[in-house]
Amino acid sequence: MSARAARTNDSIVFQVFRGEEGTGREERFEVPAVEGMVVLDAVHYIQANYANDLACRWNCKAAKCGSCSAEINGRPRLMCKTRVDEFGTDDIHVWPMRTFPLIKDLVTDVSWNYEVNKQIPAFTPAANEPVPYRMLPEDTERVYEYRKCIECFLCQDVCHVLRNHDDKSMYYGPRYMVRIAALEMHPLDTQRRTGLLRGKAGVGMCNITKCCQEVCPEHIKITDNAIIPLKERMVTDAYDPLAWMVRKIRPPKKPASTGGEEAGALGIVRLPQRFAVKDVVRLKSRGKPFARVGGVRPDGKLEVWILKMQGTQQHWKGPRVVDTSEVTNNYGPLDDVGIGSKLFEQTLIEHAK
Amino acid sequence: MSETYETLTTDVLVIGAGGAGLRAAIEAAAAGARVDIVCKSLLGKAHTVMAEGGIAAALGNVDPEDNWQLHFQDTMRGGQMINNWRMAQLHAQESPDRVYELETYGALFDRTPDGRVLQRAFGAHTYRRLCHVGDRTGLEMIRALQDRVVQLGIDVHMEWTLTRLLKDGDRVVGAFGYNRVDGSFVAFRAKAVILATGGWGRIYKVTSNSWEGTGDGVGMGFEAGAEVLDPEMVQFHPTGMVWPPGVRGILVTEAVRGEGGYLTNSEDKRFMLEYDPKKKELSSRDIVARSIYKEAQAGRGTPHGGAWLDVRHLGAEHIKKKLPSMYEQFLRLADVDITRQPMEVAPTIHYAMGGLRVDAETAATTLPGLYAAGEVAAGLHGANRLGGNSLSDLLVFGRRAGAAAGAFVRDAGLGQIDEKQIADEQQTLLLPLSRQGKENPYFLQQALQEAMQEGAGLARDEKGLKACLDNVLELRQRADRVHVPGSRRYNPGWHTARDLRFMLTVSECIVRAAIERRESRGAHWRLDYLEKDPALGRVNLIAYNDAGSVELRRRPVPEMPPELATLFQEPAATPPATSQAPGARPPESKRIPA
Repeated sequence: MSARAARTNDSIVFQVFRGEEGTGREERFEVPAVEGMVVLDAVHYIQANYANDLACRWNCKAAKCGSCSAEINGRPRLMCKTRVDEFGTDDIHVWPMRTFPLIKDLVTDVSWNYEVNKQIPAFTPAANEPVPYRMLPEDTERVYEYRKCIECFLCQDVCHVLRNHDDKSMYYGPRYMVRIAALEMHPLDTQRRTGLLRGKAGVGMCNITKCCQEVCPEHIKITDNAIIPLKERMVTDAYDPLAWMVRKIRPPKKPASTGGEEAGALGIVRLPQRFAVKDVVRLKSRGKPFARVGGVRPDGKLEVWILKMQGTQQHWKGPRVVDTSEVTNNYGPLDDVGIGSKLFEQTLIEHAK
Repeated sequence: MSETYETLTTDVLVIGAGGAGLRAAIEAAAAGARVDIVCKSLLGKAHTVMAEGGIAAALGNVDPEDNWQLHFQDTMRGGQMINNWRMAQLHAQESPDRVYELETYGALFDRTPDGRVLQRAFGAHTYRRLCHVGDRTGLEMIRALQDRVVQLGIDVHMEWTLTRLLKDGDRVVGAFGYNRVDGSFVAFRAKAVILATGGWGRIYKVTSNSWEGTGDGVGMGFEAGAEVLDPEMVQFHPTGMVWPPGVRGILVTEAVRGEGGYLTNSEDKRFMLEYDPKKKELSSRDIVARSIYKEAQAGRGTPHGGAWLDVRHLGAEHIKKKLPSMYEQFLRLADVDITRQPMEVAPTIHYAMGGLRVDAETAATTLPGLYAAGEVAAGLHGANRLGGNSLSDLLVFGRRAGAAAGAFVRDAGLGQIDEKQIADEQQTLLLPLSRQGKENPYFLQQALQEAMQEGAGLARDEKGLKACLDNVLELRQRADRVHVPGSRRYNPGWHTARDLRFMLTVSECIVRAAIERRESRGAHWRLDYLEKDPALGRVNLIAYNDAGSVELRRRPVPEMPPELATLFQEPAATPPATSQAPGARPPESKRIPA
């Protein structure tokens, strides 16, 4: 507190990086100290008084938009949330995020992140999921932590896989692990992304140094709550059929509920499930057709879409409600990129023969 | 001028990537149109992201008695009956579907124990009506819409600023502007243009708005000849942060009061019990803001001229769960632990009820080919907006604008681009870099913000407004002498020079209309005319461009059909006769006294 009081009559020295496309250096500015000042205030002061063309991004100035990311005394932080009084009498060095190509001064080219984002399969509810959705609070609450992300890209900036290797083709980075986790844990999502995680998204590249969760301004436990669970999920799906079977018996994903009054007082009843939405199963009925699980009803019955082959064209007919005793085999999830799709392709080929 | 520029061609050009722009783009794409979105910031940073409290929709999930008629009545009463009734009706009827639709894009709202969307109380809403996610509803909404836009493969041009609508005769046929990153020029040829550029809070000193709220859409629309409706109606949010100086104006969500926070003065008295004994802290925003102002004027304010907002009685756990970003914001920026200390708050400029006049059904402006949705449009909120009604506004009218533009482009061709308009705009843009003037764009912006805060703020009178108008006109001349150093590459000073012209145009509209409205109504509080004037209650003010100068015209408020008008004949907000089937009402159901 005493240091803070002493600073208010003083001015503070800022060393702000200025430059374009690879070249640049620090420039020194003195800014009058004001009580409660944050680094962004100082940058605005510099812009108005000394350097009208000083480039920086900012929007809300309330740590809600994640625009004003920078490296302040070497640490990736939001400028709007970094109080100048915490640095005592030291000079304050403000640099752009150095993992991304420099555009000018404090602004870097973060477009790579937006390109990565496009590659992640979007939220995919079951086609027959009734709207409005019914989801229990405890199922939605576990997703909130990931959805708090304000896309400031500080975690991407600090991630050594992206930063040091100068090769962003191996790993999507922590921000997109958080996004994939949010989608994977969404109670009504039916898409599996473990194949993507193992392949292009490169979750295996992370060696859990936890730097990303240290710099997260939203305090998301990126490594503990997003990356590690995704690694586990990827590994079990890919390498451990036994664990995979166990997860099939008690799937982490809540199956689509039909809601409605018949489901009891809470609207949704949890029953032990062997089947999850998008699983490919084989039915006992005539011809032993393949079917895709569209929903698991509260009474334990399955809503299935039955595969009909017209030449080489596939066509799903349904929905039909069947009892689980009418099913002979569960081939696991139909996943566009992961293990399920391979199994499914194989069976399709068999079927075509 | 013969600067080079790039030309891009599309069906529907959406300017702005907040809630309204994204929703419009989704709908126009669904109608089969090619859509391009242009935004000044990165995708997902638009002002919508800052919305905290929630989205108003009469779902009746918590209070089953709620319905669209009641939401409609609350909106009209909040707007002091100068709203466009048809917009208010469509808004109340369609917002529930828009909320549920957002969940199909992946949004996750807070939930009731039985798994439906939870709703909370908010100012001047008869029932608990606001769907929310803690206090980060705007983030959830923009992320869901953003994901949808990405999924649909719609092109988003980030960090581009468009500054001029291109016209072929009366019709708008494109827009011209620059790329913020490298300063290159770009012209869009489009069959239809949707403005979703948000508001103009930055023309005031104390505001909750980001740098983007410079009134570009209204400025561009006005310059192109569109009509500006009710510009004098500028909303003060009652609770912005006050101290320390750097955070002044940052929003303290109404959800703090929605969750049960009290407002007290320096004598530790809950003053809202006097100003509005029924709704108390959850009165409409204009009333609460004025009450805080009056307390401070009477010498009962906090050390920095505001009021105390106290949530300590709610308990630390509830606060951290329901108001996490408020807790973090005060702890981090003001050294205040809101679970132990009260927050110091004062009114802050928050929202523009005024904007471009649009058709209720299609969100079409008065110019063919030009649509407007969200804060840039006017009519829904009248003289005062209710909390939570803006997020639903974005979705309802964003969708309508997108659908209408999508239908329009099916039969329309591309218009002719007039090179002279482009050359003119290039000159306007380039002059600040080349001329010899000495004016600093940031200082002029600050001078304008101070003049507007002082003369056209919360409490207005003729003398102050006229002085403010003189100030604005003088600044307008000084703006012709703005000079900016540096190149066109990511130069915020250069960007500010153009923004300034829009801000001055909008300011002039506001002040002229505020002088003309000689009464107090909603957010417009005249100290020299404290009462409502019934004659003025039947008109909206329209500012329009008459060969470069701002002129005003009165327009009768659209008349409600009898079946809706009857809703207002009973005493305020009487609940409708609902079937009181035993057990139909959950035990926690509680009506907020109105």
